[in-house]
Amino acid sequence: MRRGWARAGALGMALLAAAAPPLRAGSAAPDSAAPESAAPQCLAVPAGDALRQLVAAAEPGSAFCLADGVHEGPLHIAAALSLRGGAAAVVRSAGAGSTIEVNADGVRLSGFSVDGSGARFDRLDAALRIRGDDVRVENLRIRGALFGILAEQCRGLQLLGNSVRGNPQKVLGLRGDGIRLWEVRGARVENNRLEDSRDLVVWYSPGNVFAGNQVRRGRYGTHFMYSHGNRVEANRYVDNVVGIFSMYSRGLQIRGNLIARSHGAAGVGIGAKESGGLAIVENWLLDNTVGIYLDNSPFDPARPNRIARNLLRFGESGVVFHGPSAGNRFFGNRFSDLHLSVSVEGRGTARDAEWRGNDFDDYAGYDFDGDGIGDVPYVLRTLEADLAARAPALRFFRGTPALALAEWIGRVAPIFQPSTLLEDPAPAMRLAPPPVPGTPDAG
Amino acid sequence: MKARILAIAVAGILLAASGCGQDGSNGGLLNLMNARGLSEADVSAALKTYTPTGGRDDYLLFASGGHSGQVMVIGVPSMRILKVIGVFTPEPWQGYGYGDQTNALLSSGDRGDTELRWADTHHPALSETKGDYDGEYLFINDKANARVAVISLKDFVTQQIVTSRLIESDHGATFVTPNTEYVVEPSQYPAPLGGGYAPIEQFNEKYRGAVIFWKFDREKGRIVEAQSWAMELPPYMQDLTDAGKLASDGWVFINSFNTERAWGGTLEGNPPMESGASQNDMDYMHIINWRSAEKVVAAGKTERIAGMRVIRLQTAIDEGLLYFVPEPKSPHGVDVTPDGKEMVVSGKLDTHATVYSWAKVKALIDAGKFVGKDPYGVPILSFEDSIRGQAEIGLGPLHTQYDNKGFAYTSVFLESKVAKWRLSDLQVIEKIPVHYNVGHLVAAEGDTVSPDGGYVVAMNKWAIDRFNNVGPLLPQNFQLIDTSGEAMQLLYDMPIPIGEPHYAQMIKADKLKSIEVYTPIGIDPLTHKVAKNAVQAGQERIERRADGVHVYMTAVRSHFTPDIVRVKEGEHVHLHLTNVEQAKDATHGFAIGSKNINVSIEPGEHADLHFIAGKPGVYPLYCTEFCSALHLEMAGYLLVEPR
Repeated sequence: MRRGWARAGALGMALLAAAAPPLRAGSAAPDSAAPESAAPQCLAVPAGDALRQLVAAAEPGSAFCLADGVHEGPLHIAAALSLRGGAAAVVRSAGAGSTIEVNADGVRLSGFSVDGSGARFDRLDAALRIRGDDVRVENLRIRGALFGILAEQCRGLQLLGNSVRGNPQKVLGLRGDGIRLWEVRGARVENNRLEDSRDLVVWYSPGNVFAGNQVRRGRYGTHFMYSHGNRVEANRYVDNVVGIFSMYSRGLQIRGNLIARSHGAAGVGIGAKESGGLAIVENWLLDNTVGIYLDNSPFDPARPNRIARNLLRFGESGVVFHGPSAGNRFFGNRFSDLHLSVSVEGRGTARDAEWRGNDFDDYAGYDFDGDGIGDVPYVLRTLEADLAARAPALRFFRGTPALALAEWIGRVAPIFQPSTLLEDPAPAMRLAPPPVPGTPDAG
Repeated sequence: MKARILAIAVAGILLAASGCGQDGSNGGLLNLMNARGLSEADVSAALKTYTPTGGRDDYLLFASGGHSGQVMVIGVPSMRILKVIGVFTPEPWQGYGYGDQTNALLSSGDRGDTELRWADTHHPALSETKGDYDGEYLFINDKANARVAVISLKDFVTQQIVTSRLIESDHGATFVTPNTEYVVEPSQYPAPLGGGYAPIEQFNEKYRGAVIFWKFDREKGRIVEAQSWAMELPPYMQDLTDAGKLASDGWVFINSFNTERAWGGTLEGNPPMESGASQNDMDYMHIINWRSAEKVVAAGKTERIAGMRVIRLQTAIDEGLLYFVPEPKSPHGVDVTPDGKEMVVSGKLDTHATVYSWAKVKALIDAGKFVGKDPYGVPILSFEDSIRGQAEIGLGPLHTQYDNKGFAYTSVFLESKVAKWRLSDLQVIEKIPVHYNVGHLVAAEGDTVSPDGGYVVAMNKWAIDRFNNVGPLLPQNFQLIDTSGEAMQLLYDMPIPIGEPHYAQMIKADKLKSIEVYTPIGIDPLTHKVAKNAVQAGQERIERRADGVHVYMTAVRSHFTPDIVRVKEGEHVHLHLTNVEQAKDATHGFAIGSKNINVSIEPGEHADLHFIAGKPGVYPLYCTEFCSALHLEMAGYLLVEPR
C-alpha cells in the first residue's frame, strides 16, 4: 500500500466490520428521530384480536396506540389512520396473505413490529403492502415475512428508519424483497436497514431519494429498472451480490455510498446496463469482484456518465466495460490494490472513455514540477490481459511472480506489442480519499 | 492441469512453427499473427473452425429467420450459411411464392381475406423419434399470424402452412412431443377465441389464451387439421414451451407472463403494458397432461371454435388436464432436462435458474395438494415444494440447453454472458462474455434426450461494435463457443443480416438424408410425386384448350423446349415446366421480363405457372441460373400478338 492508502483502507475495513449506527444522509434532514408521538386522541389497543376489528371500522383520522404484546393480523387499512407502538407491540401474520395492507392516503405507521406473512410469491405476500399517497412508515421492525414492504403506485411515500430482516436460512432465490417500489414517485426511503432479504427493487419509479439505508447479505442492494432521476446517497451496501444496479434508467445520482464485498455469481459494486446520465461520485467501492460494471452504458451518447472521485480498492477489477466505453468520463478516481484496474470484455479498449486526473497505484511516472499531476501520461497496457486472452489457462498464475516477471519483461523488451487499454493524459500523483461514506459531508 | 499443459504445448508448437518451415516471404505463423494482431487463442479458434475446400461441417444449425419469415441452415463449426429456406415469405432465388404450387402454398396460410406475405418466425423444431432428432422434418411458427409450417428435410422445402383463427398470435411454438405426435402451438397475446370483438375492459372475462395440438402424420408428412385440437387457457401471455420426455412423457410445459392481466392503455391513464405485466413476482408455468387431454377430446368433451375442437378451460380443470406452478416472473425458457426428470426455468428479471423436479410436481398433482387456485379455478402447486433448487446464474438468465456431461448452458441476457453450470449440484462453473444481449442459445442436440456437447451458439440480439459499419441497421451476431474443453472458448462471430433469429436447433449432419436430385423426372416438391403436368423430354408441346394455352416445356442445358411461345393478347397461359436433367446442381431458372415471372427448377423438378398474356409485345425469356457455358444463350421469346 502506498501514498497513505493504508489509512483509508483500514478505515474502510473498519466501517465494514463495525455494527454501524444508523447513518445520517447528508442531503436529507434526519427527522426520523422525532416520531409523531405527541398526537392526541390515541386509542390504546390491548394485545389480542381487537386491533383488526378497530382498524376495519375506524373513521379517517383515528389513531391507535398498540399495547405491547401480540396483535393478530391481517390488518386492512382503508382510511387515513395512525398506528403507533413500541417494538414489543407485534402485529402478527395469520399465516397467509399480506399482514398489513394499506389502501388509503395519509396513513401513518410507526414504531411497532410486524411478524411474518404468507409464503406465496405469486400473490406477493408481504409484511406491509401499500397503495396510497402520503403514507409514512417509520421505525417498524419487520421479520419473518416473505416480502418486507411493497409500495405500489404511491406518491409522497416516506419509509424511514425501518428494519426488515429476511430469513438467512433460505437461499437468496427463495427470499422475497426487503423493499419493493413499483410505480412510486417522490418517495423518501431513508435510514432503513435491510438484512438477509433478496432485493431492494425500484421499478418504473422516478424521482425518489434513497439515503442512509443499509442493505446487507442480499442479492441486489438496490435495483433500478426504468427508474429515472433517483438519488442514492450515503447508503451502505455490504455482502450483497450486487450493490447498485441500473437498468434502462437515466440520471441516477449515486453519491457517497459504501459498497463492499459484492461477491457471488454476478459480484458487482455498481452496475449499469444501457443506462446514461449517471453520476457516480465519491463512492467507496471496496473488495467487490467488479467495482463498476458498464454494459453498453451510456446508452445514448447525449447522456454521458460521470464517474468521479470514487475509491476503487481491492477486488478482481476496478472497472469492467462490456461493450463500447465512449461517453464515460472518469475524473479523479482512485484505483488501488486491484487485480486489474480496468478491463474490457470482448477485445475492445477503454480508450474512447475520457480519463483525466485519476490515480492509479501502478503509475510509474513522476511529477518534477510538483503540481500533483504526473508529467507523463498514464498508459495501461495489459500484457497480462493479453497473455490471458492468448492462453486463458495462464489466469491460474495470476498474482504469481512468474506472471509478474513475464509482464515486466514484456514491458522492458516487448515480445508482443501489448495493446493499450486506456490513457490518462494527466494522472493524479496523490489524491486524498473521498469523504467517508455516510458522514454529513458526503455528497 | 491438462488445460495448462495444453496451453504450454500450443505455445511450443507455435514457437516451433515460427522457427522452421519459413519460406522467407510470408515470414511464418508468428509473423502472420503479428501482422493481423492475432493471439494464440485466435489461432486455435481459427484451426477449430476453418473448413478447407470440400470439407463438411459436423452439425447443421436450423435457425429461424425472424421477420424475414424464413429459415436459415448454417454449418457448424464453419458458420457458413448453406441455405435459406423460403417458408412464409416469397424467396425469389428458389422461385418460392412465384409458381402456382408455391403461391397456393403461401395462400393456404392467409387468414381471412388478408394475403399474408411476411411472418415473424421464432422457434424451429426438428421432428423427433423417442425424444431424439430424426432428421426428417422441421416445423416453425409465425408469431405474428399464428401459423405453423412444415418443412421436409428430404429436400429442405416447405410443404405445408396451417393456421387457426382460434388464436391471433403464437410464441411458444413450435415444440414437438417426443415422437412428433403433435406440434404444439400456444397463443401469446390473449384475444377472444375464434376472432371477433370484445372491449378490452372485458379482458378478464372475454379474452383467452389457447394451446393448439396440431396432429402430425409422419407418413404423409403433413399436419392433419381435422385431427388437431386445442385447449382454452386463461388470458395470460403464454410463452415458451417444452414437451416432457422419458420420465415426463405425456406432459407439456408452457411458461407464461402477464398473469397480472395488464393490457396497457398509456394514453388512458393506465401503466404501460410492460410495467403492469411485470408487477407480480411470479407467473405460472402451465402443466398440461396431453395424453389425457387426447382422451377427453376423443370422448367428445370439446366445443368447436373456428373449426377447431377446443377443450374449454372448465373441462380442462374438471378433467385434471391443467395445473399451474409459480415461476419467477417474465420467464423465457422452460427446458426439460435430457432425462425428462427436471424442468429448468429462467426468469429474465431474475438471477437464478429454477430447477423443478417432475417427481415432486407429479406427486403434488397425484395427491391433489394445491396451495390455491387462480381466478379461473386452475389449481396451483406450491413453488417451494415443486423445486429441487436454484442455480445462481447471474443477471437475467433466459434459456437453457444441455450437453452430454451433465452440464447446462444458460444464456444470461442482462449480463451478456453464457453460463455453464452443473446440474448435479447447481453450481456455476464458468461464464463467458458474449456480444451483446444474448437471447436463446443452442447446444449440439442440446434439447434432446441425448445431447452431444461440444458446441454452443449464442444468438445475440445486438452486434454494436463487432463488425464493419453498414449503417444503422446492424446484423445480429451468432457466436460459436467451443464447450469441449475444460474452459469455454469463443471461436467465431457470424453476422446474421437477414432477420432476427430467435431460436435454432443443431443436429448432427449425418442424421440428414437429403436427396440430391428429384427422381424420377417431373417431381412436384410439395407432394414428392411426379406432377400431373410433368413433361418428359420429347413430349414438349403447346396445346390450346378452353381455359387457355398450355405450354409443356422442358429445360436442359442449354435450352428451353419450346423456346418460342406464341400467344394472343389477353390469353391465359399455363406454363408447365420440367427440368429434365438429373445432374447434381444443374438447376435452371426461368424468367420472363416485365411479367413478374420467375421460377427455379432444380434437377428433376416440375413447376406450373399461370399468367395472363396482357399487352402485346415481345418478351424475352431466359434461364436465370448460370447453368453452362451457353447459359446466356439459354433464352427464347414470349410473343404476345395483338388481337
